Amino acid sequence: MGAHLISSRRARDTAVQALLSLLVFAVGLFMITPFVFMLSSAFKPNGLVFVEPLRIIPQHLFLDNFKRIFADPLYPVWYWNSIRVTLITLPLRALLVSLAAYAFARLRFRGKDFLFLVFMATMMITPEATIIPRFLMYKAFRLVDTQWAIVIPAVFDVLFLFMLRQFFATIPRELSEAAFLDGYGHLRIYARVVLPLSKPAMVTMVLFTFIWIWNDYVNPFVFINSMNKQLITTGLQFFQAREGANYALQMAGATFGVIPTIVLFTVTQRYFVQGVATSGIKG
Amino acid sequence: MHAVHGGQVVPAVYAHAARRSAAVAQEARVALAFIAPFFLGFFVFNLLPLLYSAYLSLVNFNSFSEAGPRDFIGLRNYLRAFADRLAMASYARTFLFSLVYVVGIIVLGFVTALLLDRRLFLRTASRTMIYMPYVANVIAIGIVWSIVLNPFGGPINTLLKLLGIPEPALPQWLTGVRSALPTVAGIKVWQNLAFQTIVFLAALQDVPRELYECAQIDGAGWWRRMVRITLPMISPTTFFLVVITVIGSFNSFSIVKALTDGGPGHSTRIITVFIYEQAMRYSYYSYANALACLLFVFILIVTLIQWKAQKAWVHT
Repeated sequence: MGAHLISSRRARDTAVQALLSLLVFAVGLFMITPFVFMLSSAFKPNGLVFVEPLRIIPQHLFLDNFKRIFADPLYPVWYWNSIRVTLITLPLRALLVSLAAYAFARLRFRGKDFLFLVFMATMMITPEATIIPRFLMYKAFRLVDTQWAIVIPAVFDVLFLFMLRQFFATIPRELSEAAFLDGYGHLRIYARVVLPLSKPAMVTMVLFTFIWIWNDYVNPFVFINSMNKQLITTGLQFFQAREGANYALQMAGATFGVIPTIVLFTVTQRYFVQGVATSGIKG
Repeated sequence: MHAVHGGQVVPAVYAHAARRSAAVAQEARVALAFIAPFFLGFFVFNLLPLLYSAYLSLVNFNSFSEAGPRDFIGLRNYLRAFADRLAMASYARTFLFSLVYVVGIIVLGFVTALLLDRRLFLRTASRTMIYMPYVANVIAIGIVWSIVLNPFGGPINTLLKLLGIPEPALPQWLTGVRSALPTVAGIKVWQNLAFQTIVFLAALQDVPRELYECAQIDGAGWWRRMVRITLPMISPTTFFLVVITVIGSFNSFSIVKALTDGGPGHSTRIITVFIYEQAMRYSYYSYANALACLLFVFILIVTLIQWKAQKAWVHT
């Protein structure tokens, strides 16, 4: 009888689990509905987008929208600009941020706590709040309407300084002390001991840097004027305005706009979730 | 035992101390070299704009002529803000927008985390789908939602019409003066849900299992365990999330630019959009900066109130 009770209870638990699973899966489907509709409309001629909006799989796959995107004089340029800006920002950011993080995690010096506090305090103020003084400053530096206005400020990121410092602090001190006794200087300990052990943190940084630059709207919107220098986000906005009533084409443009980050995220989800959970990285 | 140090014979203890202090001095030099490049950039691109912003808000730089005189005019830009009904209405709109957004995302983020905390079939697939909007390009989001929510022929209203809702009663969504602001806030909840969910989920998984086991032995039901264990145990996380979500929502800009650009009428012209227009469209740089500083003070006050209030509900 006891065994019977247990097995019926197990059956009930499984039923509850199945029902909840179904519910959560339905929530997931709800979340991606706009993307499903985006994809579906991108494969329709514009005339059908509002005529049969609920037909998810189009009767005929219509590829002209995508062909027009590829042939567009500007769209591929914005795409490449975003990739290039990320590729230039990444190594600079990785180097300067990790060097400073090493100093905060491993070296003793006067004013360390105070300096770190100053860095952290500025995190409270979002970059949007200082957009006007930055615009005037960049204008004086002749950075406006160049992609350096996106790259250079992005190098000095306090959030990653915080994240890397936390990560470096978890690396056992004995390792660097052993290297120290072998006559290694700090530069070599940083490069040969600490950095190789920090792959997860560095991957998180690369991942978020790419996603942020790809999705950044405010900076290119304010600091870049020329159409051929825009990044994908501001480019898309111009594209949306230019294609006014051609909704299918806009959807094709949006599709390519979201593909790189969604693919990257799906592949590296573990790092992504860890990054958010451990340091409260905000998008 | 003696060691030679600086040409003098000194006892070994001192030599050791001297070596140590030399090592400390050397460490400080290395630290300087490691931090200097970052600090320089940080100073120019993070700190300087802050100071410049405060300065700008106190002078008269409100015209096209860039070389014009910049008289120190004290708090006049600030006084002008309080007399500007459009500006005050924009602050109020930001407040309303934040209220809808923060309540929505904290509640939904918590519920989603509770669901994902269980053992589920297809959990990875569901989780990937739920987190997906978070990494999507904001303008792409704008394009997609404007079409999805198109009141005439968009899929949502087509569906509602099929469900029997008469044409005049169909929601206007982003194009309605009353519905636009909550709609934008709702879309922002959809977009950012992943962040709150992930952080809540991490907190839920940190609650010691023994507490639940003890409670279960004591015969406490689901609701009781939720109120007595889960909510108090995760309250520091909830507090942290509420604070940074409020700060983030007061600074919202991109999502509004992507969806409505402040319209229809003034209905979604939140303060950040208003500030941007004052600076870039009318060149009221000083006035716009005063508005931005006011927003910052406003955020600071709200954060301090939350800080004070945490004693009442945050478990330590």
